[in-house]
Amino acid sequence: MRLQQGQTVEKQEVVVDAIKSFLFGFFLLICAGLSAQTKDSLTQFKKKILESVEVDLLMSYYEQEGIHAAVSGGIGNEYLTNYAPTIVVRMPLSEDAYLTADVGISAYTSASSSNGNPFNQSGASTRGGGRGAVRGSYNSPKGSPWVASTGASGKDVLTTVNLAYQKASEDRNRYWGVNVGGSNEYDYSSFNFGTSFAQLWNEKNTEFSLKAQVFLDQWDPIIPTELHEYELFQDTFLYNQDSYFLGVSITDDQGNSVAGYLPENFTSYTTVSRNSFAVSLGLSQILSPKLQGAIFADLVFQKGLLSNPLQRVYFQDRDDFYIGNFRTIAQYTNPNNKDVFHLADDVERLPSQRLKIPLGARLNYYINEYVVLRSYARYYADDWGIYSSTFQMELPIRFNLSWKLTPIYRYYDQTAADYFGAYNSHLSSQDFYTSDYDLSAFSSHQWGISLNYRSVLSQLKLFDFGLKSAQLRAQHYSRSDGLSAYIVSTSFRFVLDQ
Amino acid sequence: MKQIKSIFIALYLVTSGSCTVVKEYNKVAINDEDMLLSAIDCERFETNFQIYREAAAGANGGKTGGGCGCN
Repeated sequence: MRLQQGQTVEKQEVVVDAIKSFLFGFFLLICAGLSAQTKDSLTQFKKKILESVEVDLLMSYYEQEGIHAAVSGGIGNEYLTNYAPTIVVRMPLSEDAYLTADVGISAYTSASSSNGNPFNQSGASTRGGGRGAVRGSYNSPKGSPWVASTGASGKDVLTTVNLAYQKASEDRNRYWGVNVGGSNEYDYSSFNFGTSFAQLWNEKNTEFSLKAQVFLDQWDPIIPTELHEYELFQDTFLYNQDSYFLGVSITDDQGNSVAGYLPENFTSYTTVSRNSFAVSLGLSQILSPKLQGAIFADLVFQKGLLSNPLQRVYFQDRDDFYIGNFRTIAQYTNPNNKDVFHLADDVERLPSQRLKIPLGARLNYYINEYVVLRSYARYYADDWGIYSSTFQMELPIRFNLSWKLTPIYRYYDQTAADYFGAYNSHLSSQDFYTSDYDLSAFSSHQWGISLNYRSVLSQLKLFDFGLKSAQLRAQHYSRSDGLSAYIVSTSFRFVLDQ
Repeated sequence: MKQIKSIFIALYLVTSGSCTVVKEYNKVAINDEDMLLSAIDCERFETNFQIYREAAAGANGGKTGGGCGCN
């Protein structure tokens, strides 16, 4: 009985395939007939590269927790939330061209970033991580890498705008594009432009693509409060009338009030630009009626201020100085520490150049009309000593014409940058150093699910737009150094009724 | 080194198939939206946080640097 059912299903599939092939063949015959007509009529019935105006409404919420905050030198609260609404509009300009406008904001709150000035117990911080909140007070302020400060650097909004123009050749074998855009946040701005080209041949079985992109970025450096005061007042910063540290008690690890704190490794930034130049190559190939793959290679060169000016570093060969309750120093690296903060020896220093080479591949297999296997792999190397591997797999499972569920899994690992060291482990004699765990050795697992809805008739309306598709994605991310995160994102695509 | 070999094997597998030509009428499966050889729209947010939290980026996996204060 089971065998008979199997045979019946198999026969049905064969019949469905035969009908599909017949209908498709019939369609091609019509096309062939049309091609015999004049060129003008061909032009008249040519399919547009984009049929109608499309609007994508996208949104995401991200939240993370961790214990290796880079702003406090590789130790501390990494709690962060990010909310990012985005709108993407695609407009046909002609049968062969369309324009894309992509506008979004990304609003975050960060416990780590708030500790640019960890002593800011009330009010907003100003430049330099926020000075002056309790300046001149003889009651020693308190701070902790485990407690979020209330300073303005703890939240920010990144705004991005991108415009792209895409044009196709009449035979749809060649595509060109240009794009320009920019982004801005409190301490960072970026301008970018680029171009792309794609050529298809071999009856559209093979495609070669080339993309070039330039980012011209600019830091407006915010540095930790103690280094900011040192930058302003140099050797007098502990007793200058305008210094934050006037009257503030600084102790050694025994609780003795001392005046020896002098972060002399710190020097002001002379370069605040960061420029990135990227060339991307892609080659895709249809391997069978149900299998296609692609390989990608990028070459990225970055130059300028590649470190983050807000991220502290501590040297093991220098005395330690604190502000706050010295009795808690023994528990400094423990989340129970709520009231003492270690003053920085310097901010992270990284080379002014970086060459990145990511190589990637995608391979997608259409198992049947219900299931598709999507896979992605990447190998990455750069001249900072980081090597990494990425592997991702998705399995879209279609229930009917409208609904689809996709389990997703992603694995990632990387080696540490040559300049990485944990909290208080660097030497002052080093040229480059960072305690940012994003540059440490770790592996990560990301898994989640995506629920997709496709409206066949676009019946749900918003003004003159009909809902074409909707998607809900939820992912959990865990890193071997203890960082964990989750992200939920949604997208709604609307199409203008014609 | 093993990873480099894997990349070259993948490269060979992709390019060696170029002698096979799948006709337009046989591309029903290939033209399925899930067969797209790029990340899907909604994935941009995941790619964005990965660019911040990981050192690697690019190769059809989002932007390759620039535009944000990340590494």
